[in-house]
Amino acid sequence: MNGYTGKILRINLSRAAISTIDTAAYAQWGGGHGMGSAIFFDLVKDKTITGLDPSNVMTIMTSPLTGTLAFGAGSRIELQAIGLQAYPLPWFTRSGIGGRFGAMLKFAGWDGIVIEGASDVPVWIDIRDEDVRIRPCSELSLWGMDTVQCQETIWAFIAGGSRYGDWIQPLKSGNRTTQRPAVLAIGPAGERLIKIASIIHDSGNASGQGGFGAIWGAKKLKAISVIGTGDILVADPKALFEARRWAISQYTFPLDSIDATKSMWATMPSNLRSFPMPLVFWKRPPDSRPQACFGCQAGCRCRYGDAIGNESSCKETGFYQFYKLRHMAANAVGNTIAFLDSIGKKSTAILDELYERMLPITQRRAADIIQRSGINAGEFEKGIPYLRDLNKLGVLGPGKDIDTDLPFDKLGEIEFLERLVEIILNREGIGEDIAEGFTRAAERWGRLEKDLKTGLLNCSYWGLPMHYDPRVSLEWGYGTILGDRDINEHCFNPLYMIPMITTFMGSGPPLPAEEFAHLYTDRMVPFQNDPRMVDFSDDNMYSESVAKLVAWHRRYSRFWKHSALFCDLQYPDFFNWAAPDYKGITGEGEPRFFNAVTGTAMSFADGIELGRKIWNLDNAIWVLQGRHRDMVKFPDYIYDTTSPWWGTFHCPAYRDGTWEYVPIGTRSLDREKFEQFKTLYYRLEGWDTTTGWPTRSTLESLGLGYVADELERDGKIGNPNNGSCEL
Amino acid sequence: MPSASISALTPAHKGCAASSTCLTRRNFLKWSGIVIIAVGAGVSPVVGRTRFPICHGYLLVDTKKCQGCMTCMLACALAHEGKHNLSRARIQVVQNPFEKYPDDTFQMQCRQCVVPACVASCPTGALHVDTASGNVRRVDTSLCNGCEQCVTACPYTPSRIVWNAAARLSQKCDLCINTPYWNETGGPSGKKACVELCPMKAIAFTTQVPEQTDTGYRTNLRDKSWAIMGYPTD
Repeated sequence: MNGYTGKILRINLSRAAISTIDTAAYAQWGGGHGMGSAIFFDLVKDKTITGLDPSNVMTIMTSPLTGTLAFGAGSRIELQAIGLQAYPLPWFTRSGIGGRFGAMLKFAGWDGIVIEGASDVPVWIDIRDEDVRIRPCSELSLWGMDTVQCQETIWAFIAGGSRYGDWIQPLKSGNRTTQRPAVLAIGPAGERLIKIASIIHDSGNASGQGGFGAIWGAKKLKAISVIGTGDILVADPKALFEARRWAISQYTFPLDSIDATKSMWATMPSNLRSFPMPLVFWKRPPDSRPQACFGCQAGCRCRYGDAIGNESSCKETGFYQFYKLRHMAANAVGNTIAFLDSIGKKSTAILDELYERMLPITQRRAADIIQRSGINAGEFEKGIPYLRDLNKLGVLGPGKDIDTDLPFDKLGEIEFLERLVEIILNREGIGEDIAEGFTRAAERWGRLEKDLKTGLLNCSYWGLPMHYDPRVSLEWGYGTILGDRDINEHCFNPLYMIPMITTFMGSGPPLPAEEFAHLYTDRMVPFQNDPRMVDFSDDNMYSESVAKLVAWHRRYSRFWKHSALFCDLQYPDFFNWAAPDYKGITGEGEPRFFNAVTGTAMSFADGIELGRKIWNLDNAIWVLQGRHRDMVKFPDYIYDTTSPWWGTFHCPAYRDGTWEYVPIGTRSLDREKFEQFKTLYYRLEGWDTTTGWPTRSTLESLGLGYVADELERDGKIGNPNNGSCEL
Repeated sequence: MPSASISALTPAHKGCAASSTCLTRRNFLKWSGIVIIAVGAGVSPVVGRTRFPICHGYLLVDTKKCQGCMTCMLACALAHEGKHNLSRARIQVVQNPFEKYPDDTFQMQCRQCVVPACVASCPTGALHVDTASGNVRRVDTSLCNGCEQCVTACPYTPSRIVWNAAARLSQKCDLCINTPYWNETGGPSGKKACVELCPMKAIAFTTQVPEQTDTGYRTNLRDKSWAIMGYPTD
């Protein structure tokens, strides 16, 4: 059981009961998501319950690699439960968090936590190695605190009379630590069952999707704190050291070799990170440092001299901008300064002054507001523009059909955001509607069908805000609509980003289109002989090759990314600027780290196949919740309007017998052809093509006969005779 | 080799009553400075009747360059003990995610002190200067009786002596002399796991006695690349 601690913490909040689950019983799933799905399936007998039902079970799982030196896989945890956010049905879903919680949980001796039931009174869970207590929030007045106050209060409680930075002894065992406990906490949004509430860890780590903050709120669970002083066993320490050094030397640029070009490439999502360049959409103040998740080689967040916006990255740094010409101009100035800095030319004081006058730390303050409140930035990113557009249409505002006093003259300023958060938390006026998420708010306002027809409400799959456009990023859109949430997996972004950016810069793509396609597909077992999997051109959008791409992507992610918990920002690493012949670490790196830690002999293909098993189990759960093929469709605007990207994406494409790079970006999906694609996909997975339900033979071939039994009892087992159709 | 007698300097516990013989932090730094000068003049520091040849190597940390990933702690425990354990890492990183830079993160490493209070306090000789291995201040665990006097004698916070509660003995940085779990030779002339694996190159090694300040060795490892990335180098 190297890599695992051997036991999973099981807490029933209804009965205030603490017990353990033997990890070995679920080790076949490889950690993380696989274990979580399997435990959920076993413990939740009625899969049709709502997310707020006390019977809903949340799993918080680590992987064998969590807390180790495994490259880009040392930090993450996987949270799963029936969610609240997706529309029309909130699916069984997932969300991940980085930081240091997972590692600390492992050092405390736990591979995961299973939360069942609901407490009558607000509680928090205090884990100190083996010692686990369910404590009332009233002792520390935690209920009502924001996420920062909550964490700091718990830290002080655990430290007792000691102070962090010195050795403290929070444990009966006598073991000591210098570390603060790692805490997951909800803010006021979660407590008040806001369905876009998140769970926050430290300053900027969030479980955003799914509305999991409100799941905790319904369970009256404010926080989980863990401090660990134990061991994580590694099967082959020397092999782990060597793998880490191999990855650094072969697949990253030396830290002292940075220049503007390398910076751009080596910090792109789904490339192993070489440099600690933050993934933030604001101009970074100079008094800052990079900040990394546990064991990561190149942090993607920052801490600042004024501590405002500490550790926030990506969505939460960019959701509140671009509302006025002044904000757009400020962003342009900020980018200019950053560019001048990156090429070694110091920006002028005038530019800095200009930027500060136009956008004085508004974005960083905005990030802190939602992190403290515990609200999902992704919903605001598309929801605030929706409110703005309704206001401009004269539909929403003071005395309008949708009556609100939101100060739209302050949009882009902190005052607007503060008022918006206030009305949501207090369920005041339209805040009561938005507390359900923007899609359900539109439904309450009688606008959902209309605004999804035009795209005014930019929620492109399952009522969730668009991330990457499914009309262009096929793997993203198809993977999401065939799943449960915005997949937020950047695996294939470099496929269209690298040709696009290099073309824009004038140098052109680094490899001929055919070689570029093979660089990806040659490792995509078991479909490796089909390079057209990554042909995103108009003629290939609904092909069997793209069905294989989607299937491979789901399988890879379900195991290597969500179960073994390799970081999405770094894996899969297909194309790598620092590697010989640009061939990234993927295929070789993942199993090398996994096996060094666990002592097993898992191959890359084994992981993909295990991912297929996990994906099948997840799909079975969705079917038990009520999924049918007929529900698996995009909103009207994805079919009826064209994507606005003007051919800016460049992809390898096969045309008239030759490979070339082609621009894509302005197109829509075809309803009928997408339906045909679904049939191809279901057939590829061995599912009933008329319902999308899994068949017994497919499930049994994966060792999931017991899942087939439950589906059959519910009358939802796929018909094996419906495996073909006329195209 | 001539020796300098510093008989007035009597190592004592941090918890001892205020007395002229206590090795306070301020006194420690003052005496360390004097000793460095003495060493520079070819003099070996002596406490009481004990001679302390200076160590042949020192870890330098640049706390402003640390990204808080704790890779150094993982590497340290793994190289020494074949497993990960934060509480047993001989280098510690402490951070507060809500604090302002640069007060949010600190790396804390053993200084291999020129006047090693830990060595002087050890009643069994377990904590000793290993003259066969570059004068590194080390623990001979077979001699350690678990009295923890070295833990409290260390003038720094947190104590650079790591307490192994399970085995009831002290451990400390040995500059990777005894690291059976990686394929490298450590020690002053070899490789150090934390230095090798720190992804920020925020830990360095020197054979020269470093200049001390109240907050640590005076170290700035932030180079031109750091500036290109937009981080401060001052």
